[in-house]
This record gives sequence, structure tokens and C-alpha cells, in this order.
Amino acid sequence: MTGLTRRDLIRTGAVGAALMGSGAMASPLDGPRQLPAHLDKGAFAAAVAELRAVVGADWVFADPESTLPYAKSSTPDPRHEHVPSGAVAPGSVEEVQAILKIANRYKLPLWTVSTGKNMGYGCATPASSGQMVLDLKRMNRIIHIDAELGTALVEPGVTYQDLHDYLEANNLPYWLDVPTVGPIVSPVGNTLERGVGYTPYGDHFFMQCGMEVVLADGTLVRTGMGSVPNSTTWQAFKWGYGPYVDGIFTQSNFGVVTKLGFWLMPRPPAFKPFMVRHGEMADVAKIVDAMRPFRMSNLIPNVVLMMGAAYQIAMFHRREELWDKPESIPEDVVRDFARKHGLGMWNTYFALYGTDEIIAAIEPIVRRAFEASGGEVLTEKEMAGNLWFEHHKNLMSGQLTLEEKGIMRWRGGGMVCFAPVAPAKGVETQQQTQLAREILGRYGFDYSVAYAIGGRELHHLIFIQYDKEDPAEEKKADDCIREMITRFGARGWASYRTGVNTMDLVAQQYGEANRALNARLKQALDPNHILSPGKQGIA
Amino acid sequence: MRWNAGRLRLAAATLAFGLTAGPQANAETPPPPPRAPAVVYAKTCGYCHGQHVAPVIRGRAIPTEMTTAIVRRGQRAMPAFRPTEISNAELGALAAWLKAAKADPKEHDQ
Repeated sequence: MTGLTRRDLIRTGAVGAALMGSGAMASPLDGPRQLPAHLDKGAFAAAVAELRAVVGADWVFADPESTLPYAKSSTPDPRHEHVPSGAVAPGSVEEVQAILKIANRYKLPLWTVSTGKNMGYGCATPASSGQMVLDLKRMNRIIHIDAELGTALVEPGVTYQDLHDYLEANNLPYWLDVPTVGPIVSPVGNTLERGVGYTPYGDHFFMQCGMEVVLADGTLVRTGMGSVPNSTTWQAFKWGYGPYVDGIFTQSNFGVVTKLGFWLMPRPPAFKPFMVRHGEMADVAKIVDAMRPFRMSNLIPNVVLMMGAAYQIAMFHRREELWDKPESIPEDVVRDFARKHGLGMWNTYFALYGTDEIIAAIEPIVRRAFEASGGEVLTEKEMAGNLWFEHHKNLMSGQLTLEEKGIMRWRGGGMVCFAPVAPAKGVETQQQTQLAREILGRYGFDYSVAYAIGGRELHHLIFIQYDKEDPAEEKKADDCIREMITRFGARGWASYRTGVNTMDLVAQQYGEANRALNARLKQALDPNHILSPGKQGIA
Repeated sequence: MRWNAGRLRLAAATLAFGLTAGPQANAETPPPPPRAPAVVYAKTCGYCHGQHVAPVIRGRAIPTEMTTAIVRRGQRAMPAFRPTEISNAELGALAAWLKAAKADPKEHDQ
């Protein structure tokens, strides 16, 4: 990079275009693509020719230029270990089956993605270099929405935007539950990664019901009630009969999920969003202890976000507005800037749903508890128009937004998420916060976090923001997340999900017996190890 | 997912009669027509650009080659978009539309 930012280039207009054309703007894939280590060029070319015969020449990407979009990622890759060899994009289940047949024959590893926007965890890039991305985006049919039961059955390429548009066009009284990158990602991908959203339907895998999977040998399996001839309950009853297997196809590489069922939340007659503002970093324990009983009893029914001030500021502001030094931003600088924008050091967003009467009955109970914790309980009356309040109001009512992507600009486009699980106990969340700040501080990174509060646990989402275009910074970010994973792990706090660069490291923390079980399942279901090798540390 | 009129009618019939459109029913469905540039902008670009998150890009006569290159490569905080997400035909039309687009005073810079 020449020191020009993308913003600079846009403003330079034609000159910027010339710079890009001359290659002065560094591409995310300066080197060649990386072929699978065990395939020579001739074998790879032969496999590509066969893939083209299946999906058509337009849907195989096997040269450096057309592979570029698949290589773009915000996560650190200082040793170039996550470079794809290309991509293939089937348009149907039959084409997926045909591709797997070819892959088995050539031992061609395929890294499956739905929309490939796994932000903070590697986007579409594979766990090891040389894998060909199996891009399912073209399989984008909304197969069925049951208007009475409020269920959906969709293909991997369907985005939350597509579903939103469908519900609107058909005037269906249901809400979506979206992750923070909803418009451009898919319910299939997010659910299979066990991601979350922020309404009462926020635990996406909990709300999943039935799937169709192509196994590595081409066998087509429908889980739950889906294999019963003439079944009308595939999306109504999760458990089916006998062993429940849906879980083994999430965060795994045991099959290619080609259809996924899930439930839609009936649109509530009334909805009221709240924000609780706390002024000090040390308030984290009090907030968690105040929230726990409400989440356990479901009196607060949605996945609650407890947002750190630095993360919130990064959504809509740039680091240089606060701080121009390489060291972590001091706490008082963050606090002062946050206060000027109506924010505290912790900003906790929850909502009540139901009828006006139900909300009126619950609100005073909740309000008392959070005021006793030292927080200010705020509603639209005080906060309407505040960018952050409006953003979280949208999330908690299933509206589409990409505003949280703003945090990626903080230090030049690099961002990787470390996501340890904490029990919903104040003391331990405080300890996690302290440990994270200590480690980040030594690397000069900012404590930019969100806690997503489930029933009895929190996902502590810690975003390491760094300059992806500076190799030294990229190396530092990689070192930092490895130290965080290792030191949190030593305390018994492991990640619920991780980026492609640390999948094996996290898998080690879950123990040898667990890894051996996964390895046996893998060997039984995919003996040639063609499906996403390395995914979640499974070879 | 793009719904042409025929598909919408099919969807409406599906809902009315509670039928599931099985996978075979749509296996031969032809690819949907390209989306109009304004639709692509509204449903992808416009969530960030002009919404406090990314720079305003309308009304700046951005050269078409620049739009095409940045969309396909991604740049800094912006993700890359693949031909499976925004087809080459859609991207070409989007780049031309963007170059000619007037600024929208309702949009905000970062």
C-alpha cells in the first residue's frame, strides 16, 4: 500500500483508477493462488476441466484474478496459510453431488461456504491453503414458507435480505432474527456456525428445524422428520426418531448442508426497546448479575447485547478522532468521548415483547433491578434519534443493518474476533474483561467488545482491530489472538467459534477424546477428507 | 433471490394451498434476470455507503473500472463481492449507474 486510503482513492477519481489499474493498490492476493499440496498442476487442471463440465465454465474460478474475491479476509494470515486454489459454484443439489464425485476422485479439498461473509472469522477463506471454495451462493431458493406454522426452508445462498423481501412481498406476520451482517449473509451459514441474533429467536441453532445434507459420497440425507415419505412435519418437529444428528453438521465438515429449516418469530403486537447506561468499566459484574435472573426466567426474552464503549464508538467514528497514538486508548479518553454521544462505558440493550399490558407489567420490575445496579434505564423517550439506540432497536426487532461493520475501519480493515464463553456470573465476566484488557494493552490494541447474553452464559466477543495492510501489525494481531486463546483457555474459558487461523488451536482445548471422536466420525463419513479439512480442527 | 412475476404467483399459490414447492419443481428454473443497479445499490452498497459507515459514493463520478475492481477485490474494511453475489452483468451496470449517479442529500459521510 502506498499510504493512500481507499477514501483517498475514491476522492481522486480518475487518478485513483489509474493507480488501481497499474497495480499500485495492493491486492489481497499478491502472490499466486495456492494449489493443493498433493496435486500437481496437471491433475488440478484436469479436475477443473471436469468441474467446468458440471457447472459450466462461468462458475469455476481457477485463475488468480477470478479467485481474488474468495481470498479477501479481514483476519490475520501472516504466513499465507489460508489461500484458496479457486472456487466452484454449483446451482443445484445434483451439481453438488457431481462435484463431490470429482473431488473424491482427485482428492481435491473443497471448503464449503454459503455466502462467504463469515466476518471476523475468515470470510470465505479456507482453514488451509490450496482448498477450492465450494460456493453455494447460487443455490438461492426460498423453498417454502409455511404461513400458518411460521417456518422456513431455504437453500444456502438465500440471504436475510432475500427472506425479508419475501416476507414483505407476501405480507407475512413474522420477524426475522438477524446477525449484525444480516443483509449479505445467509441464515444457513449463520445457523451452521451457531451464530446469534438479538430477538427472542436469537439462538439460531436452537430455532433450526430439519436439514438436507449431501454426504461426501453423494448420499442425500434429510434429518428429523424429513425422511418420512409425505411428511408434513419436517419444519415443525426438531428431534425426529432415534439419534439426533443435526448437531454434527454444524461447525463441522461432515457433509454439505443444502437445505435448512428454521422457525420465524410471530410479529408481536407490542415491542419496547431499552438501553441501560453504566458509567464505569468496572460495572460489568453488576450488570451481569442484574441481568441473569431476567434471562433465566425469560422475563427479558431476547439475546441481550452489553456493548463496550470503544466498540460502539468504532461503529460510527474513526480512531483518530479520539487518539492518535499507537498504544491502546486510555479509559478516560473513551469515557469522555462516549459521554459526549450519549453513551456509557457499558451500554446494555434489551427489549420487551408481547402486548402493552405485558410490557407495562414487566417494565417496573426490570427498571428497579437495573437502577439498583447503578444504571440509567433509557427508552425511546430519552434516546430517540441516537444512532446507537436506533441501531440496537433495529437489531432487536429483526431489521437489517450493516452499521456494525464500521468497526473494521478502526485501524485499516483488519479485524479478527476472539469469542470465549463466560458463565453469566459477574465475577467471572469481570475477570475476563481484566484479562482481555491486559493482553490487548500489551499489544497496543483497544478493548473493543460486545457481550452477547444468552440464558446462562455470555459470548464475550472481543474484536482485535489492526491494520491489515501492515505486515508487522498483521503478525501482531495473529500473535495477540493466539495468546488470548491460550491464556483464556488456561482459565477454562474456551471459544464458542473461531477464525480459520486458530481452528486447530481452539480444538486442542476441547481435549483429545473429543478430537478423536470427531476424527472417527470424519473417517466414517468422508474417508478421503475432501470436505473442508481443518474446519474446527477436524482434518 | 429475485422473484419475477411468475415466481411470485407460484409463491402465492404455494401459500394459499399450503403446498411445498419441492426441489424438483424448481430444478429447471431459468436464472433470474439481472437486478437493476438501484436495487443492487439499495440492498448491498447502500447499507454502508452514505450510512455513517463507508464513504458517500454517489455524486462523485467514480470511474467504472474503480468500482469494478473494488467490488471484486474488496479494499481495507470493505468485503469483496463475488460474481455469485453480484453478477458481472449486474456489476457492469452498477458501475455505469454509479458513475452517473447524483448525490443524495439524505446520505451521510462517515
